[in-house]
This record gives sequence, structure tokens and C-alpha cells, in this order.
Amino acid sequence: MRKYRVLALALLAGALFSSEAYAQQQHRIAGKVTATGSGEALANVAVTVVGTTIGTYTAEDGSFQLLAPAGDQTLLARRVGFKRSTIRVASTQDQVAIALERDVLQLEEQVVTGTATTVSSVNAANAVAVVSGEKLNRVPAQTVDNALQGKVSGAIITQNSGAPGGGTQIQVRGVSTINASFSPLYVVDGVIIDNSSIPNGLNAITSAAGGTSPSSQDQTVNRASDINPNDIESIQVLKGPSASSIYGSRGTNGVILITTKRGRAGKTSLDVAQRFGTASIANKLKLRCFKTGTEVDDAGFDSTGFGAATNKCHDYQQELYGENPFNYQTIGSLRGATQSGTNFFISGLVQHDGGLVHNDNYNKQSLRVNVGQQFGSRLNLRANSELIHSLTERGVSGNDNTGINPYTTFSATPSFLELRRRPDGSFPIGVGAVQGNNPFQVAEQVKTPENVYRLLGSATGTYNIIVADRQTLDLIAVGGVDSYGDNSKIIAPATLFIEQANALPGTIVNSQGNIVNANVGTSLNHRYTTSAFQATTSAGFGQNRRQVDVLATTGHGVFPGVTNVAASTQVVSTEQQDLVKSLSLFAQEEFLTLSERLLLTAGVNSERTSNNGDPKKFYSYPKFSASYRLPWLPPVTDELKLRLAYGRAGNQPTQGKFTFLTSLIEEGVTGYRPSTVRGATKIQPEQATETEGGFDLTMFGGRGRLSATQFRKQIDKLLLQATVAPSTGFNSLFINGGQIVTHGTEVELALTPVQTGLVQWNSTTTYSSNKGKVTQLPVAPFIPQSGSFGSRFGNAFVQQGQLITVLQAVNGCTALNSTGTRCPAANRVLKFIGNSAPDYQMGFNNDVNIGPIRFSSLVDWRKGGLGINLTNNYFDSDPGSGSMLADTAVSAARIREFRKGRAVYVEKSGFVKIREVTIGYELPTDLTGRLFAGRVGTARIDLSGRNLKTWTRYSGLDPEVSNFGNQALGRFQDVTPYPPSRLYYLTVNTTF
Amino acid sequence: MKRYLFIALAAGVAVAACKDNPTAAPIDAPTTAAIKTLTPASLQQLAIGVTAQDRAAYASTAVLTLPEILARDVYRIDQSEPRYVGETLGGQADPGSFAGGGGFAAFYTAARAANNILLLLKTASPKDFSAQDVAAIRGFFRTMKALDYYRVIELRDTVGAPLQTDNDLEITPIYCKPHVLTYIAALLDSANADFATAGAAAVLPFNLPGGFTSFGRDYGIVGNLIRFNRGLKGKVDFYRAIDRTAPQPALLTTAIAELTQALGGAAPGAVSGAALATGIYYRFDPVVDKISNLRSDSKIAANPKLADSIPTTDARRSKLVSRSTLSGQGLSSNLTFSFAVPTSANQNLPIPLLKDEELVLLRAQAYIEANQFANALLDINAVHQTYNATPVVPFATVAAGRSAVLFEKRLSLLFEGPQRLVDLRAYGLLNAAHFAAELPSDPYNTAFPIPRAELNARNLTVNPVCTP
Repeated sequence: MRKYRVLALALLAGALFSSEAYAQQQHRIAGKVTATGSGEALANVAVTVVGTTIGTYTAEDGSFQLLAPAGDQTLLARRVGFKRSTIRVASTQDQVAIALERDVLQLEEQVVTGTATTVSSVNAANAVAVVSGEKLNRVPAQTVDNALQGKVSGAIITQNSGAPGGGTQIQVRGVSTINASFSPLYVVDGVIIDNSSIPNGLNAITSAAGGTSPSSQDQTVNRASDINPNDIESIQVLKGPSASSIYGSRGTNGVILITTKRGRAGKTSLDVAQRFGTASIANKLKLRCFKTGTEVDDAGFDSTGFGAATNKCHDYQQELYGENPFNYQTIGSLRGATQSGTNFFISGLVQHDGGLVHNDNYNKQSLRVNVGQQFGSRLNLRANSELIHSLTERGVSGNDNTGINPYTTFSATPSFLELRRRPDGSFPIGVGAVQGNNPFQVAEQVKTPENVYRLLGSATGTYNIIVADRQTLDLIAVGGVDSYGDNSKIIAPATLFIEQANALPGTIVNSQGNIVNANVGTSLNHRYTTSAFQATTSAGFGQNRRQVDVLATTGHGVFPGVTNVAASTQVVSTEQQDLVKSLSLFAQEEFLTLSERLLLTAGVNSERTSNNGDPKKFYSYPKFSASYRLPWLPPVTDELKLRLAYGRAGNQPTQGKFTFLTSLIEEGVTGYRPSTVRGATKIQPEQATETEGGFDLTMFGGRGRLSATQFRKQIDKLLLQATVAPSTGFNSLFINGGQIVTHGTEVELALTPVQTGLVQWNSTTTYSSNKGKVTQLPVAPFIPQSGSFGSRFGNAFVQQGQLITVLQAVNGCTALNSTGTRCPAANRVLKFIGNSAPDYQMGFNNDVNIGPIRFSSLVDWRKGGLGINLTNNYFDSDPGSGSMLADTAVSAARIREFRKGRAVYVEKSGFVKIREVTIGYELPTDLTGRLFAGRVGTARIDLSGRNLKTWTRYSGLDPEVSNFGNQALGRFQDVTPYPPSRLYYLTVNTTF
Repeated sequence: MKRYLFIALAAGVAVAACKDNPTAAPIDAPTTAAIKTLTPASLQQLAIGVTAQDRAAYASTAVLTLPEILARDVYRIDQSEPRYVGETLGGQADPGSFAGGGGFAAFYTAARAANNILLLLKTASPKDFSAQDVAAIRGFFRTMKALDYYRVIELRDTVGAPLQTDNDLEITPIYCKPHVLTYIAALLDSANADFATAGAAAVLPFNLPGGFTSFGRDYGIVGNLIRFNRGLKGKVDFYRAIDRTAPQPALLTTAIAELTQALGGAAPGAVSGAALATGIYYRFDPVVDKISNLRSDSKIAANPKLADSIPTTDARRSKLVSRSTLSGQGLSSNLTFSFAVPTSANQNLPIPLLKDEELVLLRAQAYIEANQFANALLDINAVHQTYNATPVVPFATVAAGRSAVLFEKRLSLLFEGPQRLVDLRAYGLLNAAHFAAELPSDPYNTAFPIPRAELNARNLTVNPVCTP
């Protein structure tokens, strides 16, 4: 640690005491920047004098002027969305014209390298994924996570069910932990935001996890879903420690950096987008249709009423999930700047997405105000804020032990029975094997509102302490807060059939979550520029505080119509609180030389956190990287960059530090005794070390780009629960130990096969694969704490020498019972069935523009992987015992084999999905002029769809589902989920 | 100048940030470290933690059900859980299963909880606790600790058991039974000395659960705790006296004296009738406490041979009732226990931790081994005639005495713990010479192994030779 601190101080001192600016004669240069082809004037283009820190931005009309040192100079012009351009300016020349070519393949972006530093992707040493706001919002999505699906190589982004409102997990570069945090870090405009999934208490009526306390089976929503995707300028994904070490002990799982839109110079623009859409069930189980009463009797059901039934073949799935909701999004934004140096971006969103079931829906409203102000020539302040409200009603789905899930009823109800509401308002009951539930009644009477009110705010101040020709020194302070209240209710009235089976009918859960994330940071950035090199030194600190308080109160015995939990006959409360404080100190040096061909970077972040056993001890996360753009190239090659990066990040120990006192009740009096989990006072962060290497090749005059990356990520000091001798009075103790090593490959090929004045076709193909193996394990092999239904069906398993994503299940029997029909428990053979993670993943993105018509598509292909389809187990039964699946022979054979100890519910879960399709038309300006009386600049109409088609061998509703929501391992459990939906939208975009 | 001002400002902010308190006390639940000083309030909570944990440990299959299966009183036949038979009457208990692994960790957790209070006593302020209070507290939790160790060794017998130290992660040797019993005896004597310091009239400075105060005697009074302590000590000393590998006959006199003290100095035969039920009980409440009397179980049956052993004239016969035939794995029975019928009342039924009836019969056992048959007969009849009109026929040999006392003890303490298993084992009766095999593969198990988790932590695969 000490050596890193010395290094940081040396870097800072070097920066501060380097030579002062020197005076010399100056050369005034003026000019204009336009777009190649169209000649459109380009505002906000950065124009700098190469070899100096001198630079400016173009005005709305593309003009600029600056004072350069005397003599011949080279100007560099760059703007996001365009390729950079350099132009030689003779000492006698004072006017220049610069034309920038559109960067359709995103060859040049500014990628984050430090807390307050960026570098052009041309020189970047890491494979940082950049997704522009335009690409993100091409097809409307309910959440940001959904919008990212298929767009980031190396990231597996999976939605846990088809219920409205999200619930999505992002896993970047494989499994990075077993017991610590597994979510990437989300950072919005420099503020770390919370991505918790807060259980809403659904377990009180499903009893999915037993008991009534909130559980991971509550079909939760991860709260990154609150962000409005339409406000996003761009998203950068730092995929692993070699890029994310600046985020210290929260960087192991990758970092998703979201930059929202800012005001910009030029004419104030008002953009309005109106979207209308609908959804439909994307997949249904093939259920049985009973054609005769005898068939009903033979299946073991009562056929009474069969003859009189007007519809003998109810499609219950269609009847319940057949709602085609009316969805809409209204988005408006105002963007511009004033002459006094104020720039602003103000946006609003009103969104409604209905679910497939009547009463299920997701609603969001947000208001964002981003304001920037320049004070004089040296001080710039920027304040961003977003106020969000979301209301999610996701209904009842997933595992249950009370029979309340619709598929539980469907699995035992012969098709001739009517389940829908009667004209008199009552619901049929007493049908099938499940006597006590009617899913149509549940859909109508059970309420599951989850209201989130959230404030995201950040302020950034930049003061240019030193501004000279050759060096600058900036002081940058960033502070922000993410605060939200998550108020959920589950209301199951006493009138429900399912409640009437309880001793105290009528259940209410009232859950109140309050989460605050706050962080402040200050850094000093020094840039020293000569004709030979540019050195950027930065150092500073950051503080972060996270506070969580979730109080859930469950009441039973509530009168119908009453929603006050305090009015319950019996009330039970649980509360979860947490407080984490962190401090980091960092220093970084970037050295760009050899005509900007070689970039060397070294940095270190030292961090302490209250989660560590020793909260005063700093843990260091260094990084080193190099990139080199080769000067000698074959004819068709424009650019070839080789890159190598090494970095370390951590993962905070989230449990195990303390010996808690466990409460026990005796004769109604609460007592406490030491927990059987012994506190580990020396617990420390997990440590991830990553080495990444690759190349970026640009070809065919910028019409082709190939990037390839290989990485090796090693996780050490895993947070593990070790068994201790029970005679000590404890059962376990958290330790740091073990190792996971992941190797992976990521390839991205971007092409512009056609580029004419009328037609442009851009195609991007991504490929990624990785495999992680447990290379050391100092504890006995174990089933991780994450949810599963045991080895009969299949579970994750951690064992040295095995893949971390291995799926273990009973699949064999040493000897069947005497009748040869069952495998006794003692004879079942556990086997590793295979890898639950995909072998590889590919994305195919194509954009075709033909004049005003645009067509784009995104296809997501996951090859390999395994899922456990427990939903089939609900339906499978012997002939004569009432399988409700259409193929009763397959169903019966499956349950027979299951009893004999075969892993029949493990299925291949690979798929190909058409994620996004858009067809758009930009109205001719003369038409818009006539239609809108000249008030509208541009107008475009898009017809788009999401998740339109899936090809898979998986027999369930959707191979992506996860009954336990987000978890580090074993998310492959499919239990009667909410069916997936297809989404369709018609969008009218107008710019005023 | 201004630039240096900004640099100084940035440096100042950085220094201030570094000086921020980096610790965050756990606010979600109390921790052991958070109790810096033992107060009356924290003592009350921690005390209930010990008694509740001890109850949870006791009210388990491994302590209540399995030993009674080995003692040929109880069956539990469950097609979905064949180990109740397969690892008791049909084979050896697997150290990794609930059968071989139970009745162990939970008692050590209770002992650790008791020890936690003993260590915290050093932090108690004289303003909160008098010297007598401290002595009474120490005496009580030492007694509880001794009780928990005894629970382990009565199930493990010659396999041995580890003993905890104040270093809470120290793994101690697996000591042989004589060593463990000697340690328990010393612990009980220390506790007794503490009680003496506190004085018999003193009262514990915290409230005990009703199971300690509502069954004929208030054990919140130190004088009664002395009786509890001496009862346990008498039990320990009696079994030390007749230990099959290292008998100490001299301890019989000690045991008789201790048990007499536990019975309030009552002469042989003086405690009978309703007074026999006086003692300490575990009480259950599935709703509030989330714990029920697990004997209330439809898969439980009484060993049919039990019916043959109980005359219809004995009032204790009412403990046996008919049930629908339960069969499987080579066993069958249409009898069960009145308290095993699954009812709400049975789920709430208390189970004695130590009642005077057991102490009277223990004293009778000690008299028998000491050849004081007349005194033994008086105590046996005090129990027998509570349930029968006619007295027990006098006996003149140790074997006959043992037979008589075993009969009473079996019926009086039926399905109340491992007492019968301990007695059959101590008397060397748990073998084919005295009992017909229940199943062809009946191994006549007499004890349970060291659990797999404990073996794993010691890098062992089988029970080690115990440390003397």
C-alpha cells in the first residue's frame, strides 16, 4: 500500500512542479467544420492544436477560432459520431475548412480510463463496449437492461420472466463470485446507483420459500430498471478488472457507465416521440384438449358437466394471458444552450406497458433536468437530476406451494371446465385436482403494486487551475446521490378461494424500502503536452456511503376491502438494514507518445470499506496497460492497434464479518444467543485480476472494423463459508480462499458492405465465449446458497476442477426398487450433467438505410447452456393420472424416467431470438412543412418489435427465465413463470 | 496564488475524507461484540437465548426419538424417510445423516451461549448486580453448560465428546466418557459452590421461562437451583459409579447423598404421588415460539412388545393407545402413545427436563448398586404405588433390583429422553441375550457416532480413539 501512495504523491508532485507555460508569439487561426457529403455545419466539434493543450469548440454554424503558437501547426478536429481529422496549417494560413466523415461504425469514441479521464477509443487499451443512445433506443424497451440485450459482447443479459417491468440480470465475462455481489456496478453521470432487487413479499401468498417472509422467489425487479433509457447519451461497459480497477472493490463484476444527455450549443431543439404499442403472448405450453368424457374419466378426472360444456377445449393460457394491452410512451426533451454559457437538457417521460394478464402493468414517469453553466473561462458547473416514479404490478407467477400460480391450476384442470368469471361476478371453484384456486379470480382480486419514487442527482464542478499552451491543471469535484423509496403491497383479500383455506383469511404485505447511495470525489488532473508526448496525471479521492432499510410487515386475517396492515388479526414484521462506508484514494498516469501511437497507462486505486474485517486497512487495485497503433500496414488496412491491459479489482465481503446474536423465542419472550456463523474479523475483499489482450483492425477506408480480445480473469480470496467443528458451538465461518479462473474471447466485426448516396448498410456481428473453472477450493465441495430445488432436478455445484457454471443432478441409479419403477434415495447417482452457461453467444445487428427508409434488426444467438424445466414436472403424470400436456406419451415417459433417477428436467437452453426489428420512414421535409406548418424540422415514423421470434429446443415457455431472480449461480430454474411477450410499437418522432 | 489555494483546498478535503470514521456498526442485528457490559436487560435476553437453545436442542429427533427407538420403545416408520429404521434397528447410524449427526451441534451452541454469559459476567457492574447476583448467575449457567455436555455424552457414550474452552474456535480432543463426566461433575460442583455463595434464599436476577417455575417448584430461587444442580450431579455420579469401563463404586454414596439433597432431604419412599411430577419442563408453542413437541407425529408407533410389558392395572398403561396399523421396513405396529397422536394439545405438551420421579428412581438405582435394597424398594414403591394398587415384591439381588427399577423407569419416563437407552447400556443389557432382534440386521446400537461435520473439521473419516 505504502509504495502505491508514494507513487501517487510522486505523480502529483511531478505534475504540479513541471515547467510553467512559456510565452511565445501567437498565430490566429479561424475556420469552419462541416460534414463530408452533406456539407452540414457541425457544432460542438473539438478543435485542438496538436502538441499543445490549446483548443476550442465549434459554434452552431461550425465556425471556430483559436490562437496557436507561431509557425506551422497541425489541427485535430473530432466529435462523437464522426471520424477524427487532422489538417496541416501553414504559418501564413489563417483560414481553414475541415470536413468530418460520419463514423457509422463508431470507430472513435471517448472511453473512460479513470475517475475523471478519458481517452479516444483509437488509443484505448481495453475492449470497452460503447452503446450509443440512438442504438439503445432504436426499439422501445421497458428498461435499460432490456434495451442492452444483444448489444454488448461478453455480457449475458437475461430477463427473469415475462412479467412487466423488468427483472433482468447482467453478467459480464462470466461468474465472478459465489457469495459476494454479482451485479455490475451502475454509474450514472459519476454517481454510483443502486441495483438492488427488493422482495415485495409475494412469498406471503405463494409460500414459495416456505413461511411468509419476503424471499428471493418474489419475482423481484432490479432497480436499475428505473432509469429512463431515452435520456441516455451513451453507455460504456467496462467489462473486467483490467478496465474497472478504478472502481476498486466494486469493480469485479464490470461497470456500466451511463452518461445522460447534456445541453449543447446551437439552436434549441424540442424532440417529441410518441409511441403506441401492444403485446402478445410469445409462447404457450402445448396443453391437452379433452375430446370426450371418457377421455376425461380415463385421465382420472370427473367428467361431470362435459356434455353440457359449450367449450370443451379451453385454451386457459390464451384466456388468462391473452390480454393485448394498449401500451404507450410519450417522450419529450428540450435541448440547447444560451449565449450566457448555460446549456440544458430537460426531458420527460410518461410510459405505460400493460401485461399479458388484465391488471398487470408497468408505469413510469420521469423528469430529468441537466444544466451546465460556464463561469468565466475557468469554472464550469454541471448539475444533473432525475425524478422517477414507477408503478409495477406483476401479478402472481413463479414457484408456489399454495396452488396460487395459474400454471398450477392449469396442470390439473381438464380443458372442458370454465374457469373465467361468471356473469354474476363469481368464479368457478372446485375443479380439477387443485380444488382451492382460480387464477382468473387471483388475477382480478390480488393486487401487487410496487411504487418507487427515486431521485438521482449529481453535481460536477471543474476548475481550470492552470491553463497554458503546454499544460493544464484541473480540479474536478463530483458529488451525487441516489435515493429512493420502494413501497410494495401484496393484497390478497379474504374472498379469494386460496385465502379461505387459511386459518386467518386475508393477507396483506406492506414493504417499505429506503435506499440511499451517496458519493463525493475530488481529483486533480494535470495534462502536459509537447510535440513528442502528452502526459496526463490524475489523483484524488472518492467517498461512498450506502444505506439500506427495508421493513416488511405481513398481516393475516384482514377484512375484505381493508388495505391497512395494522388492521390485521396477526402481524409479523421483518426488517433488514445495512450501512456501508468506503473511501478510495487513486492516482493514474497516462503517457501518449510516438505521434499518438503508443499509450501507456499506470494507476492504482487504494480503498478501504466498513465491510472489511479491518475497516481501516486499505486494499490496492493497480492497473497497467499499453496500446500501440502500428505504423506499417497492408494496403487495405487503415489502422491496426495492438493492446494489452492488466488490472485488479475487488468485491466487498458482504457478509460474515460479525458474530450476530440470533433471536429465539421461549414462551413468548425473545432471547438471543450467538449465531452459529462465527464472525470473521479478518475478512477481506475478493480479489479479481485480469489480463486482457487483443487488436483493433480498421479496413477498407473505415468501412470495416475487426476487434478481437482474449482475457484471463482470476478471482482469488473468494468469500467462502467454511465448516467449523460443531463442537465449538459454531457451524461455519466465512473465509477468504479458493480461486476461479475464467478465459474468454470476444470478437466484434463491423462492416459497411454498401455505402452509396442512397443506400447504406451497416452490419455488426459480435461473438463472445468464456469458461470459468474452480481451480482452488479450500473447503469441501458444496451447493451454493443461491436458490435451487435440489439435486433431483439439478443445481449449481462448486467443486475444484469443475466449471463454476457446472450443473449437477441425479442421473443414474445403482439399483432400482423391486418393481423396477423407482430409484430409492440411497441408490441415486449424482452426476455433472454439463455447463449451464452458453458455449458462446453471438449478436447480429444490421442497419439498412435506403433514402428516408431505415430498417434495422438485432438477432441474439446463444449456443449451448442448460436449464431445468420444473414446469414440466407440474404437468407430468402417468397415463390415467391426468397429464395436461398435449403429448401425454412424452409426459408419462418423462415422469417414469424421473422416478428411475434420470435427469429428465435438465434441457438444452440455447436459442436464437429476433430481439429487435425496426422499419422507419423519415418524412420528406416538404411534407412535414405542409403538415406542421413549418414548425417541425424532421419527422420519422418507426414500426418496431421486440422479442418477435424464438427458435429453441427448450420445451418450456422461455429458456431465459429464472425463478429465483438474479443470483450469482444457478439462475437456470424454470418454475411456472410468467410467459414471455412480444412487443410491438409504432413511434412518431418529431423534432421542432 | 489562487491556483495554490485550490490545490490546498483539494488537499484539505482529501485529508478530511481520510479522517472520516471508516467503521459502520452493524445495525441490522445485535452482535456479540456489541455487548460491552452485561446489564439486567441484556442478561435477560441472553439467558432466554440459552434456555431456548437448550430446549431446541433437546426437542429434536436425535434426542427424543432415536434413543427411544434403540431402547425398543418407539418406532418411526416413514416410507419417505427410511433412515429412522435403517440407521437404528436395521443398521449403523451414518455420521452424515440426521441420525448420526444429530444431538450434537445444538448442545454445543447452547454451551457456547452459556459460556458467553459467563465471560460477560466480568463486565457486570456492581451497580447492576450484587456479588450474590453474580454468583447465582454463574452457578445457573455453569449448571446449564454441564447439562448440555451431559446430553452429548449420554448419546455418544464411549465414543467420547469434545469440551469447549474460552477460545471459541479451539478444537479440543474428543475426550473419553470418564474424562467428560469428571469434567461435568467438577463443573456442577463449581456451580454448587456459586449457589452457596449466593445463598439459598437468593433469587436469580432474571426471569426464567415458565417451564422452570410453574411445575411445583420455582427454580428462580437459588435454593431450588441447588436441588436441580445436585440432581444432575447425582445422576452423573451414579453413572460414573457403575461405568462399565472405569467404575467408581465409591461415588455411589456421593450420588445417594446428592440425590437426597436434590429431593429436599426426603427419606426413601417419602416422595410419591403428585409430587413426583415436580421439576423443570420444556414447554412448547408452535404458534408463538415456533417449536412444537415433536412426539406428536402420525409416523410414530409404539413398539408392540411394550404393550406386553405393561399390566393393564398400571395407570401408566394409559400412555399407550391404539392406532391404525403402521408398517414398513419389516416393522409393524397398531399401537402408539397418547401423547404422539397428532393433535394441537399434544404439540403443546411439555416434556420434563428433570423431574423428581426420575430422581427418586435414580436414587433407587444407586441404593440397589450399594446393596441397600430396602431403601431402594421404598423409593421404587413410592413410584410404583402411585400408579398401582399393589406394591413391588421385595428383591434381594442387584439383578432383581435392576429389573424392578428398569420397569418403573421405563413407564414413568416413557418417551421423555434417552434415560432407558442409558440404563440398558449401563447395565449391559442392550444385546441379543436380553432382547430379540427387531430386524434380522439389528446391530444393537448403543450410541451415536461423532457427526460428519465434526470429523471433517478434524480431517478424520471415522471416529477417533478418544482421549482419556
